[in-house]
Amino acid sequence: MKREVLFGCVCFALCLLMVSALPGWASDSIKVGVIGPMNFVQGKGHWNGATMAAEEINGKGGVQVGKKKMKIELVKADSNEFLNVTDATNAMERIITHDKVDLIVGGFRTEAVLAMQDIAMDYKKIFIGCGAAHPELCTRVAKDYGRYKYFFRGTPFNSQFLVKTCFIQMATVGAILKQTLGIPAVKVAIVAEKAIWVDPMIEAAKGFIPKMGMELVGIWRPSQTATDVTPEISAVQGSGAHMIFTVFSASVGITFARQAGELKVPAVQVGINVEAQKDGFWDATKGMGNYVMTMNTYCRGVEANELTAPFVEGYVKRFGETPTYTADTYTFLVHGLVPAVEKAGTLDAEKLIPIMEERQFKTPAGTIKYMKDEQGRHLHDLTWGPGFLTSLGVQWQDGKMVGVWPNKWKAAEGAPEITYKGMVPYKVPPWVIQAYKK
Amino acid sequence: MSLIGYYTRKTYTICKEEVLVLPGRVAVGVFFLTVLLLPLFSQSPYLLRVMVLSSIFAIFAASWDLLSGFTGQMNFGHALFFGVGAYSTALLNIHAHLPPWASIPLGALAAVITGLVVGIPCLRLRGTYLALTTLAFPIIVLGIVFAIPDVTGGELGLSGLSRLTGTRLWDYYLTVIVMLAVCSIMWKIANSNTGIIFHAIREDEVAVRASGINTTRYKLMAFCLSGFFAGISGGLYAHFMRIAGPSTLEVSMSFTVVIWAVFGGIVTIYGPVGAVFILFPLLEFLRFWPEYRTLAFAIVILLILLYMPEGLFPYLRDKIETECPRCKIRNVATRKTCRICTAPLE
Repeated sequence: MKREVLFGCVCFALCLLMVSALPGWASDSIKVGVIGPMNFVQGKGHWNGATMAAEEINGKGGVQVGKKKMKIELVKADSNEFLNVTDATNAMERIITHDKVDLIVGGFRTEAVLAMQDIAMDYKKIFIGCGAAHPELCTRVAKDYGRYKYFFRGTPFNSQFLVKTCFIQMATVGAILKQTLGIPAVKVAIVAEKAIWVDPMIEAAKGFIPKMGMELVGIWRPSQTATDVTPEISAVQGSGAHMIFTVFSASVGITFARQAGELKVPAVQVGINVEAQKDGFWDATKGMGNYVMTMNTYCRGVEANELTAPFVEGYVKRFGETPTYTADTYTFLVHGLVPAVEKAGTLDAEKLIPIMEERQFKTPAGTIKYMKDEQGRHLHDLTWGPGFLTSLGVQWQDGKMVGVWPNKWKAAEGAPEITYKGMVPYKVPPWVIQAYKK
Repeated sequence: MSLIGYYTRKTYTICKEEVLVLPGRVAVGVFFLTVLLLPLFSQSPYLLRVMVLSSIFAIFAASWDLLSGFTGQMNFGHALFFGVGAYSTALLNIHAHLPPWASIPLGALAAVITGLVVGIPCLRLRGTYLALTTLAFPIIVLGIVFAIPDVTGGELGLSGLSRLTGTRLWDYYLTVIVMLAVCSIMWKIANSNTGIIFHAIREDEVAVRASGINTTRYKLMAFCLSGFFAGISGGLYAHFMRIAGPSTLEVSMSFTVVIWAVFGGIVTIYGPVGAVFILFPLLEFLRFWPEYRTLAFAIVILLILLYMPEGLFPYLRDKIETECPRCKIRNVATRKTCRICTAPLE
């Protein structure tokens, strides 16, 4: 009996070994590696977006590559990059050399993406970054085009534009406050979680807030996972701030919104609150997050163009939630890859790259055009601004996330106004009006 | 010609009388041959990558064993030496344009200095207090890394380092040979008179001091040696990955090395090395089951430690070898009498 059990165990182990050791079967398909932290919401976004894209493309018969029609085949790779950068590089090497993918989409943590980028470049594989926002990833393309030309940024636009958008939204709300409350100058308090990525944003905000004609009254830095922020809220209240510039990526975003709502702090919240970008924010704050505003990529009912609604509604129908920006793997595969491959008639990276560099195409988030730097060198970075990608400003209004920016936004003096379809006016919380209106 | 004959005969005699008589030594010999001959059977870049990283982490794990296992200086912040080695190597390579053969040893020397800096304030601490204090050091250095991003690259780290060698195959041979050499040196140190003093300090420091031995000097030496070897692994890692980032100093890195060492069996040197060569590829093997990969990995470790609390390799060694109660020489478990003193092995 013991020998039979042992034999069974050995057979099982051999089967596992064979399953894991066999490379992907060669077939008439385009193999797309989807790499990301699959046990986290970011990786799930990568995979969901790619899955939706593959289903849509294959449903239409596939991609016309020369005379052949090829289906999209996805290969999932868990990079585990939040916990282990080495793991991420191993996953990248595995999908390239073992699974033999034709191109890769994904990546999130900048340190890991830099290391993964090098591996993809070693094998001359097109790698579309769909998560990391640091400019360095694209600066490498300009500095060493021969080596790094296979990298393109898929989403989001780089962090410098992210900060710029935040300040524009802040200025927009500031103007509304001045008009509604009849105050001469808006006082701003910065409340940002204690995290490294936030530090440059605070430094930038310190410089920009006075330039926007506002007064900075203080900076508070609660822990990312704080469960009580009443001391910070009391201090903000004491400072007389009209506006709170929030920078939260973690659970403190819920705590702060809930407690500030409970205390009816007479100041509006603007900035980045990742928790407020999620559908579950209203329930998590028990409705106390009313009137919180944050930057976001997608919002149900808001359309940057005619492609937005079908994507957002399709995603909600398929996965039961509004897409996050890492789900833009869909965008690249459907609107970026397929037309480029069909035009090139080949999967050869050397022929695809010039086509991808020159293309300008609509996506659900806006129009994509790849930038060049001041010296005219290719950056493979996303163009930000009116007519291209801008992101959204969303506000929670009575249990619903609505789009409030861009709404009659003028990027410069004399420039045309921009308003996305489905935008509604920004609402100042009634208790703020009550506190300041004379 | 006669000299070659002499050495051939000597090697044969050593193999016959010293290696082939003990299964543990045969296993080590097989391990040496396997890693050296592996590329003859497969040159898959992915397989070689896993083996290169296993070799690098094997040095790192063995260096922890030298300090915490042998000397008993419980270090929960060993990533400090790894990270300092990686960052120093990266800085020397990027700014001073030193090639890997120069930047890695110099990076390891920086880790030695770090060993001294950490070792001196930690001399008066023992047990939990020492463990918690050492845990703080990589976090402090991580703070410094983020405080001076112009030098350290901040959250991005330092990237674009020169390659270790020109090809993956040469990367493999370089790291494997360095690993075998460095781990053999650590094993030799552990079995030398210095190693005996390290052992004694762990067992009873007061008694060692009463014997007229300067324990302070030996403890500092352990910190420096361990720092040097961990620094070499950090330097190799930085050049292989072509990036030295904050992840090299993270707390998870410090705890992973403890897991490897405890899994393989501490106070052995070969235990942590063997553990890395099992656990690191195992984690890769489990990629076919992504959702439960980490869970399955944790269960394997827990089961091993539950049934083999001394670690995997000491357990296996005790199954296949026995120690002579009279002369303390090890014998194959099937022998009835000691191969040296012929005492009964019951």
